[in-house]
Amino acid sequence: MPPGFDPTLNPAGLSPDFSLLELGLYAGMGLFVVLLLLTLLALATLPIFFLALFILDFVLRGFQVSPDPVGKYAKLAGLVFRSLRRNLLRTALTYVALFVLTGMLTLIYSVVSFLGKLTSEKQAQQMVIVTEKFAIPSMMPPGYASQVKAVIRDKLPKEYQPADIDKNFMTWSFVGGSLSLEKRTQENSLFLFALDPDAVLNGMMSEQGLSPDDLGEADWNELVRVINIVKEDKRNIIVGEDRLQIMGKRVGDEMTLYGLNYPDITFECKIVGAFPAGSRLGTGAAMRYDYLQAKLDEYRALKGKEHPTTTRCLNLIWVRLPDKESYERLAAIINDPATFSSPAVKMETFSAAIGSFLEAYKDIFWGMKYIIMPAIMVIMCLVIGITITIGVRERWTEMAVMKVLGFQPWQVMGMIVSEAVLIGVFGGMLSTWSVYFLPMAINSALKAAKVKFSFFDSFACPPEIIIYGPALGILVGLVGAALPSWNARKVKVSDVFSQVA
Amino acid sequence: MAIVEVRNLYKSFTRGTESIDVLMDLSLDVEQGEFVALMGPSGSGKTTLLNLIAGLDNPTRGTIMVGDMEISSLSESELAHWRTRNVGFVFQFYNLLPVLTAYENVELPLLLLPLTREQRRHQVENALGLVGLTERMGHRPGQLSGGQCQRVGIARAIVTDPTIIVADEPTGALDAKSADDALNLLELLRSELKKTIIMVTHDPHAAGRAQRIVHLEKGRLVGADALTTAY
Ligand SMILES: Nc1ncnc2c1ncn2[C@@H]1O[C@H](COP(=O)(O)OP(=O)(O)OP(=O)(O)O)[C@@H](O)[C@H]1O
Ligand SMILES: [Mg+2]
Repeated sequence: MPPGFDPTLNPAGLSPDFSLLELGLYAGMGLFVVLLLLTLLALATLPIFFLALFILDFVLRGFQVSPDPVGKYAKLAGLVFRSLRRNLLRTALTYVALFVLTGMLTLIYSVVSFLGKLTSEKQAQQMVIVTEKFAIPSMMPPGYASQVKAVIRDKLPKEYQPADIDKNFMTWSFVGGSLSLEKRTQENSLFLFALDPDAVLNGMMSEQGLSPDDLGEADWNELVRVINIVKEDKRNIIVGEDRLQIMGKRVGDEMTLYGLNYPDITFECKIVGAFPAGSRLGTGAAMRYDYLQAKLDEYRALKGKEHPTTTRCLNLIWVRLPDKESYERLAAIINDPATFSSPAVKMETFSAAIGSFLEAYKDIFWGMKYIIMPAIMVIMCLVIGITITIGVRERWTEMAVMKVLGFQPWQVMGMIVSEAVLIGVFGGMLSTWSVYFLPMAINSALKAAKVKFSFFDSFACPPEIIIYGPALGILVGLVGAALPSWNARKVKVSDVFSQVA
Repeated sequence: MAIVEVRNLYKSFTRGTESIDVLMDLSLDVEQGEFVALMGPSGSGKTTLLNLIAGLDNPTRGTIMVGDMEISSLSESELAHWRTRNVGFVFQFYNLLPVLTAYENVELPLLLLPLTREQRRHQVENALGLVGLTERMGHRPGQLSGGQCQRVGIARAIVTDPTIIVADEPTGALDAKSADDALNLLELLRSELKKTIIMVTHDPHAAGRAQRIVHLEKGRLVGADALTTAY
């Protein structure tokens, strides 16, 4: 099996065999690393935070000289910025704390919504995989392809069938070949998937990244062009660019491959195109299934007997079904030993595999969503609340003076709430925005540098966090400032002075 | 005609279960343009009386007329509104906002009034000019001496052209020279601008600068200034 892409695995690459202890261990380590990274990120964005405050203050100053009432309110708002600047360390620490907490929240939210989407996608189209039940690697008779199709057509009620079974069906055969029989090396061997070229055009491999959406229009059109060339001649193959490099071959080269798992069969191949470098098929290769069949026929004609692998040349069958219900009904039929017995087969879905994986950790996800996330929000409110409370204590007399001068209680309250909201909104915004955009930036930088590392591809935060972050900051600011600002509102001016004087 | 008319004023505070009567049946008149010093031992209720006249608190009983406004029954928010236009405050510890410049400190109460920017600038510059701090208007309180701070405080008290100016021990934190400057200023406000000033002080020298001294003892006025309830 070539590295990078394994068609027997579900697309998320999740193995359902994690132990809870392992998961806990990874979670603990992950948490530590995440906290560390977020703190570093918070410190790194601190200058942006202060710059933003500075710019806002600067803009406000511009408004302060404009006619009333704008100028007047700009002056009052200016007081808020001065208060924030008064104790820079405290403001900075509060920002960092909010940043880290929002970042945690963002990541948890992203994971939870990512997994939620996976499970809900179970309701939509189902890619199912049929394999031999008791043997690895799975090797099935080629006739199973038409038999599975027949089962779908004849035994599955019409409403559960895909519109056109031929367009929602594909088979996989694995062919290993070497350029030299004597000396087999990494550089001179090639691993090919024998497929029906139309399967790719029918979108059967879109979950593997072979779709216009994932490739981009230009690459997709190129792929379509190449596949059409493959259709012209049985011997045409497509090889991943990364693989070509390793082998020292290029598009247009012809080569003779000696079968490794098909001994005594030689394949005359012509490379007519390449899968994009760095893509999931970048290290793989694909040939036509009917070429393999033709070679097996040729063997029979020549030797007067079947090639030993002929009856086991079908490795996987993929079917695309309309929904979960059809999968469950079909699985019941196909998994029944009465339908397929020698060998018996099993049918699974990709998302069912993920679904059952998730099922095992349901409680953890529930806890994340309903315990950890609210807990973090409460902590955020407390952090802001404490900061603002300290600030209010410090300025108790000043606020009394403002009230003495005629400021209304709500005006004093508003100033304090604004301070909290300002820190909150910037903490929330810069945090979610860096968590959202930083992986994107790293990813495109890697792409630009032609580094084949696509970790960041697989996990993306949902875009709504761009709004949720600042909104959460505002909310947390409001809640956190509620108590201290209410206290400030209630400052009795006469009390303050009878104590002071 | 008296600009401040206090009649049968009672003020008591409740601390826990016990109630302390601080002012008892107090009546007092202050004429327009008068400079009154309020003296008395510590705890006699001077600050309490001043706070009531300045609309910082409501009396337990009795009435207070300032100008033609009966303020004893106004709500907290109405009082705040009223104070902006009608009362100028001078504090013992200046109570300037440390983050604001002298100019901005003086401008602060004006932000609550419907004035244009030019009107505000005009009034702030006038007030600072009067206390002789035009040169220092860009400075923060931390960059000013105590005496200068108190002059900024006085400028802030007069900038809204209030009906009365109240001062609670305005010289209490100042050295003799600065105290003298501040008192000169208050006298000037009275003589030139015909301001009505009520000043609490422990300092007989400071009180001597006033036109009239009112003595308070245990919540009642004593001596010649005590008004009879039949007033
Ligand atoms: N908010 C309050 N709650 C309870 N008691 C108060 C309050 N304000 C003042 N008092 C009490 O009222 C009395 C008079 O206080 P006040 O501050 O008016 O005195 P004062 O004459 O200004 O004294 P000093 O010269 O020390 O400033 C004191 O016994 C004081 O404890
Ligand atoms: Mg006092």
